[in-house]
Amino acid sequence: MNRTRALLKKIAWSAFTVLFVIILNFFLFRILPGDPARAGIRDPRLKKEAVEMLRVRFGLDKPVINCFESLNPIKVGSCAVNPLDTQFFIYTRNLFQGELGISYHTNRPVADILAERLWNTVLLIGAGQILSIIIGVVFGIFAAWKARTSVDYSAVIASLLVWSLPTFWLAILLLFWGSNNGLPLAGKSTPGSSSLPLIQQWVDIARHMLLPTLTYTIVYMGEYTLIMRSSLMDVLSEDYILTAKAKGLSTFQILKDHALKNAMLPLVTVIAINLGFTVAGAIQIEAVFSWPGLGGAIVEALGRRDFPVLQGAFLLIAVTVIFANLLADLTYSYLDPRVKVD
Amino acid sequence: MNSSEPKQQWLIRLQSFWQTFSKNRIGLVGLAMLALLILMAIFAPLIAPYTSSSSAEFQVGDIYNPPSASHWFGTDDAGQDIFSNFVFGARISLIVGFFAAFISIIIGGVLGLVAGFLGGRWENLLMRFTDTMLVIPDLPLMVVIIALTKPSLLNIIFVIGLLGWTTTARVVRSQTLAVKSRKFVLRARAVGAGNAHIISRHILPLVMPILVVQAVLVVSLAILNESALSFLGLGDPTVLSWGQMLNYAFGRGAMSIGAWWALFFPGFGIVWVVLGLTLLGQGLEQVLNPRLDTHHLMPGRPTVRKDRVEAQTKFTKETVLEVQNLSINYINEGKPPARAVENVSFTLNAGELIGLVGESGCGKTTLMLSLLRLLPSAGQIVDGRVFFNGEDLTTISDEELNKIRWKEISIVFQGAMNALNPVRTVGDQIAEAITRHMPDFPKDKIQARVIELLDLVGIAADHREHFPHQYSGGMRQRAMIAMALACNPQVIIADEPTTALDVMIQAQILELLDSLRKKLGLAIIFVTHDLGVVAEICDKVLVMYGGVTAEYAEVDTIYNEPRHPYTQELIKAFPDLTKPKKKLTSIPGYPPRLDNLPVGCRFAPRCPAVFARCQTEQPILHNLGNSHIASCHLVEASK
Amino acid sequence: MSKDAFLEVNGLKKYFDATGRPGLFSRDTRHVHAVDGVDFTLRHSEVLALVGESGCGKSTLALLLMGLEKPTAGTIHFEGRDITHISEHERKDVRRKIQMIFQDPYESLNPTQSIEEIVNEPLMVHGLGADKKERDERVKKAMEDSGLKPADVYLNRFPHELSGGQRQRVVIAAALVLEPEILLADEPVSMLDVSIRAEIINLLAELRISRQIAVIFITHDLGSVGFFADRVAVMYLGRIVEIGTMLDVLEKPRHPYTKALISVIPVPNPRLRHERIILQGETPNPIDLPTGCRFHPRCPVAIATCKASDPPFVILSKTHKAACLLLVK
Repeated sequence: MNRTRALLKKIAWSAFTVLFVIILNFFLFRILPGDPARAGIRDPRLKKEAVEMLRVRFGLDKPVINCFESLNPIKVGSCAVNPLDTQFFIYTRNLFQGELGISYHTNRPVADILAERLWNTVLLIGAGQILSIIIGVVFGIFAAWKARTSVDYSAVIASLLVWSLPTFWLAILLLFWGSNNGLPLAGKSTPGSSSLPLIQQWVDIARHMLLPTLTYTIVYMGEYTLIMRSSLMDVLSEDYILTAKAKGLSTFQILKDHALKNAMLPLVTVIAINLGFTVAGAIQIEAVFSWPGLGGAIVEALGRRDFPVLQGAFLLIAVTVIFANLLADLTYSYLDPRVKVD
Repeated sequence: MNSSEPKQQWLIRLQSFWQTFSKNRIGLVGLAMLALLILMAIFAPLIAPYTSSSSAEFQVGDIYNPPSASHWFGTDDAGQDIFSNFVFGARISLIVGFFAAFISIIIGGVLGLVAGFLGGRWENLLMRFTDTMLVIPDLPLMVVIIALTKPSLLNIIFVIGLLGWTTTARVVRSQTLAVKSRKFVLRARAVGAGNAHIISRHILPLVMPILVVQAVLVVSLAILNESALSFLGLGDPTVLSWGQMLNYAFGRGAMSIGAWWALFFPGFGIVWVVLGLTLLGQGLEQVLNPRLDTHHLMPGRPTVRKDRVEAQTKFTKETVLEVQNLSINYINEGKPPARAVENVSFTLNAGELIGLVGESGCGKTTLMLSLLRLLPSAGQIVDGRVFFNGEDLTTISDEELNKIRWKEISIVFQGAMNALNPVRTVGDQIAEAITRHMPDFPKDKIQARVIELLDLVGIAADHREHFPHQYSGGMRQRAMIAMALACNPQVIIADEPTTALDVMIQAQILELLDSLRKKLGLAIIFVTHDLGVVAEICDKVLVMYGGVTAEYAEVDTIYNEPRHPYTQELIKAFPDLTKPKKKLTSIPGYPPRLDNLPVGCRFAPRCPAVFARCQTEQPILHNLGNSHIASCHLVEASK
Repeated sequence: MSKDAFLEVNGLKKYFDATGRPGLFSRDTRHVHAVDGVDFTLRHSEVLALVGESGCGKSTLALLLMGLEKPTAGTIHFEGRDITHISEHERKDVRRKIQMIFQDPYESLNPTQSIEEIVNEPLMVHGLGADKKERDERVKKAMEDSGLKPADVYLNRFPHELSGGQRQRVVIAAALVLEPEILLADEPVSMLDVSIRAEIINLLAELRISRQIAVIFITHDLGSVGFFADRVAVMYLGRIVEIGTMLDVLEKPRHPYTKALISVIPVPNPRLRHERIILQGETPNPIDLPTGCRFHPRCPVAIATCKASDPPFVILSKTHKAACLLLVK
């Protein structure tokens, strides 16, 4: 019963964080000087009909919140007047209807643009994370097991080196090498490949994914190696490992039945905390390889000053990370019997 | 001149820190890398062959020329010398890194300190806020904010600084919490110290080392963030940071032209700085917060032997375990080995209980661990034999040894808090012993056996589904005994099983061990520093001091006719409520360091009966008849 | 309140909420009854041993006496003054006179402070010592009185350079430097080797005479306090069950718990192996108190009425009383 309560509490906090992000997102874009709504209305690229539609849809002539002045000073609302007749409320309502605005650049709904791209990013991050976790865990185990030997020292130095590489630079170097070796330079698939049979389409995507995933894996495997190593070393110096040894269990049995599960728990926490940072890596990788994901959307929107897309992408990324974090948190408390109810 | 000025104390501390740090290779390399770069940045105008000003003006060569004598790093898309830009670019990266990190550290440090120290609602609030900010992805948020404002250097510094404090806050908070609950803080409060005093004198000095290591990490992250932002086009267009250089190169066709130099060198600079900082951070971490770098699964050292002829003990058919002249060293890199155990012998017969007595650091635990070759990686058996049923345990193979471990000889460790795996149930761990050594044991009967064992030690059956942290201290100890009995061993080694337990629980455990011994015919080795416990249940006693046998005899002899001065003093120091007039004595001084042993008798510095010979010649083990052995020169005279 | 009493404790109670926060209700099953009605007095230069196992409340009692926890009920009088609920400011003077020594010599000292800083700290907190010279002198005197002679050798050392016994002496010096009148020693020798315990106990005995300090010696092992104590109070589940002079309690124990405790004290003579009364089980959780006499579930001689009624104190002599129904004649 206590576990259910803790579970609900965690979910509630995640929901609160999402709300916080929504509010943050809204205010960033409406309050900061580079205010897009104001700019948007005057953006020469927008057709007149689009401007009107924007005005109505997003209530850009209404007060931001009742106590702030309206952006287009047609009417100044007071705090007492209808609180639902504000930009903030309209924004939130639109949000929950899946409405994220209209792109300045393409005039398409932001939600549609991002929906396509979300999965591409998930694919990239997913593949990269899984690989880097596997490699990190394996290297970390060996490094800890063979502590203070050359295996250990080289694993540590290599991990530190790899951790120090800026993601985008590694991407550039790999792209450079790849372009001289016949690998595709940009995008997710070769233009025109959609007419090919499914298998060949997948092979094509895999070839495009190779370098970006490789970049991702290299950048993060160092960190996971180090964490796994230090976690396993801590576990292996605990008294119960000596008890296991005294029981006559072989090294392999001890690692399998006593050490690994305990050592992996801190890794789960780190992976969770890391999720926010791995997005940073994704943005850089997608920028260099022109991978059509959310990160790429952000970079393109930056270049074109396409603020609705920027705003929508940020929100989507943040919500995804929060959700992933919640999953990791729940996994941890499920795995560790010592976790006391808060 | 007694107490030093505060300034001098600081100097002393700094000196001792440097002494330790300078031995850490990783840290030194990192420091050197960083120092080199900082010097380069400071002396940029002197080093750069072409002074760089703002981007478009100065063209000193053709665009995208490969490295040459006049342009060590080649030229970029605007014809500028990349090396000069590189050298000046260092300044930007370092400035942004340090200033942004400074902001983050201040915010994170203060937040963490306040949250940890105040606790309660404040802590909750602050940590929730921190966790919320932690979950929100950094770079996208930075991108959004800078895109909406102005990409100036100052702005970038602020944005990176204001978003980079979350990990620091968490780390500082947990350290503050840890320090706050330590006894010396309670002592300060008991004296009447106020919050300000406690924070400044106790909390801060212990949080500082963590904060320093964290600071190095934050600087490196800030530099990485700045370069990423610049690469994405959000850098300050009026200055040329390394990230900015890469942005221009990448965006202006360096790839298609094949101008690898424009892409390689600026990135290399970033790697150099960040790697230097990372190595420095690792070094600092190892010095300021040292962690163990050994563990129980590291390979042990092979037994060596040099034959010695010493006093022989009696040896009967009932002997289960015979330890002969066992000597164990701990190997220390670059220093003489610590002679932890030297020439110790004893015999254990079936059903016998031998007490192994000595102060902390006398080598008794080392001796116990060595019997089953469980010594840490620095330990090595350097002489002697351990006979078990005719086999010498010191030299048999690992596979053979693993069959004997637990099945024939098992161990109950001290302070069973962590001696049992906290994430597996107790019943599971007992069952593991059974399945390991008795693979033919019928699977469906294992649970019944586990229940039987727990019952033997007085634990209810349903507790087998519980985890160790759900057991009390006394219960855990009893569970360990149950586990030790799982395979019906011949010998149980109990290493200080009652230390740290209340007197009544101690009595329960002792009674349990004694009754098990009688019921099952077990032989037990009982290691302790408590003479009273030994008198209650032991048949024989081995008194150790400084790694050697001081005296070895039947229990009655030890207590009523001790011959070694250490034994005598030890008995005198033990409170005896049956003798109200007895004045409590103690043994002045403290036990010798095993890596710095005195020449001659190890007890000489503290012995009340010491004379000249004791300080030059180590006494041999004298046999006084009736299995009584004592190592003292005084004994020789009266044999 | 008696004239002689230096420190007087009446009906002292401390309840914690089951999650650790202080609570108010009695016999409420959701509260931890750490201390549940304790009375005793302490005279000048007297040594009182407070004996009991984990869970009996002795450490909580120490914290209450030190003003580090606020009592749920009851009063504490010191030198005739009620100090139970005084403000922190007023308490500062009391803090100077009542000092505490903790169990773990390894944890009681801040590893980043030198010995001199540690012993000097209390003087700084109280603003004592007119100038540096006087403070230095007081520090040295306290150290030498604690057996750290010559003081100069130890001043600039750090805790990790000292042995367990030496560290405990530093803790004592830091307590002595304020010239206290009461020393609360919470298991001061439990973590030291047997051969060193006597040193510390003898030191306390000496200080009691030379400086006229009263000592409250808290321990779970009656044997370790030996004959140092003048009086002994035995605690169980938050209450004192027997109190008397040392000889009263050791030679004529009357409460079944006291008898059991004494019977398990190890005797260093194998010829004197005797029958020990070993209680089964462990001290119950102070949240769910047994009905009637708290000790009845583990008592080897409990009778039917023990389950129903809480025994009052039975006066056995002018100095000796115990709370057991079997003593009621």
